[in-house]
Amino acid sequence: MIIIPPYLKRGDTVGILCPAGYMPLEKAITAVETLTEWGFHVIRGKTLGHQFHYFSGTDEERLHDLQHMMDDKNIKAIFCARGGYGMGRIIEKLHFKKFKKNPKWIIGFSDITVLHSHLFSKYKIASLHAPMAAAFNDGEFNNKYIQSLKDALEGKKANYINDGHSFNKKGKAYGILIGGNLSLLAHLIGTSSEINTKNKILFIEDVGEYIYNVDRMMYQLKRSGKLNELAGLIIGKFTDMKDTTIPFGQTTEEVIRDIVKEYDYPVCFNFPVSHDRENYALKVGGEYKLSVSSSKSILKEL
Amino acid sequence: MNRKNFLSSIVPLSASVGAFNKETFLKGNNSIFEEDKKIKIPSYLKRGDVIGITCPSGYISLEDIQPAVEKMKEWGFEIRIGDTVSDLNFTFAGTDKERAADFQKMIDDPSIKAIMLGRGGYGAVRIIDKINFKKFAAKPKWIIGFSDATVFHSHINANLRIATIHSKMCNSFPSDWANAEPLQIDSIESIRKCLAGDKMEYTAIAEEQNKYGVAEGELIGGNLSILQNLAATKSEIQTDGKILFIEEVDEYLYSIDRMLWNLKRSGKFDKLKALIVGGFNRIKPDDPGEEFGENIYEMILEKVKEYDYPVCFNFPVGHQRINYALKCGMKHRLNVSDISVSLIEIK
Repeated sequence: MIIIPPYLKRGDTVGILCPAGYMPLEKAITAVETLTEWGFHVIRGKTLGHQFHYFSGTDEERLHDLQHMMDDKNIKAIFCARGGYGMGRIIEKLHFKKFKKNPKWIIGFSDITVLHSHLFSKYKIASLHAPMAAAFNDGEFNNKYIQSLKDALEGKKANYINDGHSFNKKGKAYGILIGGNLSLLAHLIGTSSEINTKNKILFIEDVGEYIYNVDRMMYQLKRSGKLNELAGLIIGKFTDMKDTTIPFGQTTEEVIRDIVKEYDYPVCFNFPVSHDRENYALKVGGEYKLSVSSSKSILKEL
Repeated sequence: MNRKNFLSSIVPLSASVGAFNKETFLKGNNSIFEEDKKIKIPSYLKRGDVIGITCPSGYISLEDIQPAVEKMKEWGFEIRIGDTVSDLNFTFAGTDKERAADFQKMIDDPSIKAIMLGRGGYGAVRIIDKINFKKFAAKPKWIIGFSDATVFHSHINANLRIATIHSKMCNSFPSDWANAEPLQIDSIESIRKCLAGDKMEYTAIAEEQNKYGVAEGELIGGNLSILQNLAATKSEIQTDGKILFIEEVDEYLYSIDRMLWNLKRSGKFDKLKALIVGGFNRIKPDDPGEEFGENIYEMILEKVKEYDYPVCFNFPVGHQRINYALKCGMKHRLNVSDISVSLIEIK
C-alpha cells in the first residue's frame, strides 16, 4: 500500500532547506516568494544560506534540519532548495518513525533522488521529483514546469503531453512511477535505498556526464536487473553531456536506445524531466499511464 | 600496535568464512559457497611461453604496445597480438562483438599462457556477459591489467575463483627504458616476478593516518568507479574476509566520497580483514568557494571508523608510475605499523 502524503491547501506551511550543497539565500528568494504567492506559509531551515565548505552545513547540521522538518507536524511539505551532493551522507541517519505517521511531500530532484528512492523503497511513501529553487529564477517562476509543481501539491492530476522522438518505442504502460537522476540511481544499487523496478515506469535524467559513463551506468542498471521487468521507460533530457578526446561514437539517446532494444515495453525519449528548464513535477510512487507513439508521448496520472 | 587489534586480526581466516548464513542463502546470493572454493592458481610462466595481448576496452595502436612487446620478449616470452590491437572503433578497440571474440579466442587458446590487456579505458562491462569462461575455468591462465580490467578481476574472483594479476598493462610500459625511474622499472619487473611465480613482497611509506595492525586474507580490489559500477551485478566484488585495495583517478572529491558510500552502504567494508588505499590521482579541482572540505584520508577514515582492521594509505597501486603487480585472489599478509607497511604473499 503506497502512502500518498496529504495535498496542500492555502495557508499550509512549507519548509525550505538544503540537505546537500550550499545555496546562497538570495538565490532562493524568488522560490520563497512564489510559494508564498501560491498561498503557502514558508519557513526557512537553518541550512538554507548556511555554508560549510561545499555543503550547506556539517552532516549533523543538515541531518538535524531535515529531521526536524520531517518530524514537525505543522510543516506540510519540505522544499529542497538545492541538490548538489550530500544526501547520501546522511540518509542512513534519518529516522522515519514520525514521518511514517505524518507523511508530507518532499520536493526536489538531482541529489534528492537519494531521498525519493529511499522513501519509496523502504517506506512506500510517495514524494515529488520537481524543480528546486534555482529553477524559479531569471523570470521562470511562472512557467508550466513550475506551475506543474503547484498543481501537484494541490492534488491536481497531471497529464503531460510531449513531442515524439524517432527512437520512441510505442505502446502503453500502467504502473507506479519511480526514478530520478541516473548517477544517483546507479550509486544506490546494492544499498538499502536502491530502487525496485519490477512492473514500474522508470524515468531517468542526468547532467554533465561523459557519454561513456552514461553507457556504463546503463549497463549497471541492466546487469543488476533493473531494466528487464519494467512496465515502461521514460528518458528525460541528458544535458551538458561531455565526450572523451576520442569520441564515444554514439549520442546518449543512441546509447540508451541500444541498451533497451531487447525489451518490448514502451520507451519515450526527450521527456521534459531534466536539469534544464524542462522539468515537470513527477510523483515518485504515483500511479501513471504512459502512452508512447512516434509522434508523441503522454504521461497521465491515474 | 594495539594489542587487541593485533589479536583480533590473527583469528584464522576459516573462522569467519564458510559459516552458513541464512540471510545470504535466502537472498539467493551464492557467494558463501564460492568463498569456500579454493582459489585456482594459473600455471606460472616459463621461457618460451606465449603471452597474448588483447584489448577488451579502449583502443591502442600497434606502435604504442611495442615497449611492452619488446620487454616481454626480453623476458623470454613469445607474444601473440590479438585482432583488437590497433582496431579503432571510436573510443573502443573494435565493436563489442570483435572485442568479445578476441578475448574469447585468447582465453580458449591452450597455447596462450597469459593475457595482458592493451589498455583500460572503457568497455569491459559491455562484453563480460558475452564471454564463455568454461574453457578458461578448466584451464586457467593469468589475466593482467588494471583500471577497466577491474571488471575481469572482480568477475573472475567472484564467479570462477581464479587468481589474476592487477598491474600495469601494455600502455604503461615506459618507451624509454634507459630514462625510466627506478621504481617505475621495478613496477614493470614485478609483473615478470608475478608470472615467474615469485612470492611477492611490497613495502609502502608509513603514513601517519594509517591504522595499525596485522591481517591475513585474500587480496582483491581495483578501481573504485568500477567497483561501484559492478554492485548488485553478477561481477560484484566479494570482500568478506579479504584484504581490499582501491585506487582512483580523474574524479571529483565529492564523487569519490559518493562511491565510498556505495561500498560502505552495500556492506563491502563490513567484513574486511584490511583496507589498502592506493593512489587517488589527478583529483579534479572543486569550484572556488565550494571546496569539498575533506581530503581522501578523512573521507576514508570516516567510512571505516567503526572497524578495527588495519588501513594503509598511498600504497603503490593505481594510475601512477609506481603501480606494483598484485595477485588478486592470493592470500597475503598486511602489516601496518608506525614505522612500516608491508604486504607479503603467503601460502
